[in-house]
Amino acid sequence: MGLPDSEMPRRQYLRGLVATGGAAALAACLEVPGSGTDVPQGDPGSRPARQHAWNDALPTDEDGNVRRPNHHALLALDLTTEPDRAASERVESAFRSLERAYAHDVAGLLFTVSYTPAYFETVGAESPVPDPEPLTSVEGEIALDGFHALVHLASDDPAVVLEAEQALLGGASEPNGVEMAADLAAVFERADPRRTGFVGSGLPVEQAEERGVDLPDELPDEAPFLMGFRSGLRESQAPEERVTIQQGPYAGGTTTHVESLSLNLRQWFEQNDQQLRIAEILSPHHAEDDVGETGEELGTSTGVFPDIADRTAADASTRGIVGHAQKTARAREDGTPLLLRRDINTLDGDRPGVHFLAHQREIADYVRARQAMAGEDLDGVGQRLNNGLLQYIFVRRRGNFVTPPRDLRALPGTDA
Amino acid sequence: MSEHDTPRRGRTGTACSRRAFVATGAAGLAAVAGCLGDSGGDSGGDGGDESRDGGLPDGVPYVEDPPEAVYVPSHRDPFLMQSPVTAGDYALLPHFSYPHRFWLVDGGETEEVLPTLDDSLHLMVAFWDRQTGELLPVDAGATLSVSRDGDPVETVAPWPMLSQTMGFHFGDNIPLPDDGTYTVEVTVNPIEAVRKTGGFAGRFEETRTATFEFEWTDDRRRTLVEDIEYLEEDQRGEPGALEPMHHGEMATGNGDTNGGGMDMSDMPSPSLRPAAAYPGTDLGVHESGDVAFVVRYLEDSRLATGDGGYLLVSPRTPYNRLPLPEMSLSLSLPEGVVQLGQTLDGELGMHYGGTVALSAGTQFDLVVDGPPQVARHRGYETAFLDMPPMTVEVDQ
Repeated sequence: MGLPDSEMPRRQYLRGLVATGGAAALAACLEVPGSGTDVPQGDPGSRPARQHAWNDALPTDEDGNVRRPNHHALLALDLTTEPDRAASERVESAFRSLERAYAHDVAGLLFTVSYTPAYFETVGAESPVPDPEPLTSVEGEIALDGFHALVHLASDDPAVVLEAEQALLGGASEPNGVEMAADLAAVFERADPRRTGFVGSGLPVEQAEERGVDLPDELPDEAPFLMGFRSGLRESQAPEERVTIQQGPYAGGTTTHVESLSLNLRQWFEQNDQQLRIAEILSPHHAEDDVGETGEELGTSTGVFPDIADRTAADASTRGIVGHAQKTARAREDGTPLLLRRDINTLDGDRPGVHFLAHQREIADYVRARQAMAGEDLDGVGQRLNNGLLQYIFVRRRGNFVTPPRDLRALPGTDA
Repeated sequence: MSEHDTPRRGRTGTACSRRAFVATGAAGLAAVAGCLGDSGGDSGGDGGDESRDGGLPDGVPYVEDPPEAVYVPSHRDPFLMQSPVTAGDYALLPHFSYPHRFWLVDGGETEEVLPTLDDSLHLMVAFWDRQTGELLPVDAGATLSVSRDGDPVETVAPWPMLSQTMGFHFGDNIPLPDDGTYTVEVTVNPIEAVRKTGGFAGRFEETRTATFEFEWTDDRRRTLVEDIEYLEEDQRGEPGALEPMHHGEMATGNGDTNGGGMDMSDMPSPSLRPAAAYPGTDLGVHESGDVAFVVRYLEDSRLATGDGGYLLVSPRTPYNRLPLPEMSLSLSLPEGVVQLGQTLDGELGMHYGGTVALSAGTQFDLVVDGPPQVARHRGYETAFLDMPPMTVEVDQ
């Protein structure tokens, strides 16, 4: 079929396909030898009660940081029918089928199902999360997620992400050789936007080359994120317990915020030097040797908490520059971060960006962390200028979701 | 390298001829400008100049080892003007030139930014208040979204910048993929970080957006390069500055028309009012880091926020009185330190001020805690950085 058969080109060929999506991409993906094969099947009975409990299934890097799955799709859905018991059972059956088809593993499939305030309004129930809104003064008019449900699909195998998406929408009846007892097609239809992303050492450069997107030459080939540095180090991540809802009907679940950003990597890489990038992403107290080219020297911690975080306001007024990590680390509770980041790089629309997906106990935690990052309280730095990463990021869209515990993931808030 | 070689991006330097510059067509204007050195004079830009920071020259001759002060650059840049556009209370003047070398300021340090071969032009936006005609020299966190036929090309937060001829503006070098018609959406955020007083109280609190279009053509590139006005060699690098442009006479070539119903003559000068135009007791014009600080004490002032009078400080560039926003200033008084706040006043314009009680014989230091956090065009990159305190005394 004309595809190269060596390992690297095959992987490269596959990776661009998640962003393309659809049955054709899936077909192309599955025709490639080795893709979509040897994918472990799973057992719904062994899945954890918390949908967001991924950490035990995720590998760790050499430093002990949890590594995110490589490939992701964020599938937006709208209800097409009045939810009733039959609809609820059908939805649950579809998700259980996926759990049988794929192991709870990065070689299989990790997924969450989440619901928006618009969903709860449609079904006539009180929403456990507020409507999304702009959170900082520089956002202007942004898009707000008004669809009903979001399925976050993640795997190291791009064919799994594509196949699971197709299976949910009725386009693949036997994913990974396991029959779908039901799909979502009679209850939900695809809504906008379809979002995709990737995380992993080398993937930003590979993906960009695959898709013909021009990124600055200064982005290191092995960088795991588009801005060049590792993120989500263990010390700056909330434990799953910290982001788990403790009380009320959704106890055991979590909330999800998705902030979609575009990035100006030209200014970031071509107009700054590495020392300035480090000052802006971490703090002006970090030296290049402490960080390394892509953050490889950091180990499991950005090192900003507590002392450098405490110096944020002083750095703004006396140095005229503050770092992203030091600002955001101000929003901790007893030293524990509030957010569990599962953000992904994206080249959706052939533009570099981030889908910043985070879990937290309540949306107010996200707001607190995001406002700490905005630094609107700081004197001596600009709204964007010398103010962490704000010069280079542009918020496009926000959405708030509740991610119920697994046993409530099918059409919650209905009497079904 | 032959003139037919394709310009490469990156910091490797590129040799090319003047002819190649025009032949680059849609490629970066840096390539164009990089070709000028052979006709330009003293240094740099004669192609393949890889010695300076490994960077690309922006082609025009520059002043080597400039003084630690405001100095006259080697040339005056041409600008292509657009018609002004309006966004709520803001009037915006878009204009562009060839890709520039400029210097970012982070804290007390500067970082030189060299244009790359991808850069096509240096896009700038100056803005002021439509109602009063007052300049708004503040970091309003603007964004520019450049598109062509609805397809996004670039979204960027342009840098707050200062140039001798333009004064305060937002700008950056922008890469364009090809010749054609481009649409730029300019968003100006609310002005919240500065105190707004007088006629400006309660204003500029909404995000506003304006759109303009421009053509990018070979003729325009040619104009931008051919209209560079070189100064005599004995003037270059000397203390002094290029004359600020008067907007009505700034245009070179043909500006695009965007409608909007504004007259070019409505545009204010980029300069601040002269020292003599400020009210209050004259506490002198003090100098530090080549900045002139006009200091006035207004005994009974609407601007004071408590007991005492109002100390007004208006820092400006030498020679042409351009405003210097985004500084951190404080007063070291016998009774303690008073921070001065950047203020936009409907009648007195942008200045720094604070409420203090001064009496005859009082002596205090005016302290610069942070230099102006604005990027610099040529001729300003070595000034306004190291700024020792100034001693101010109220006459007996």
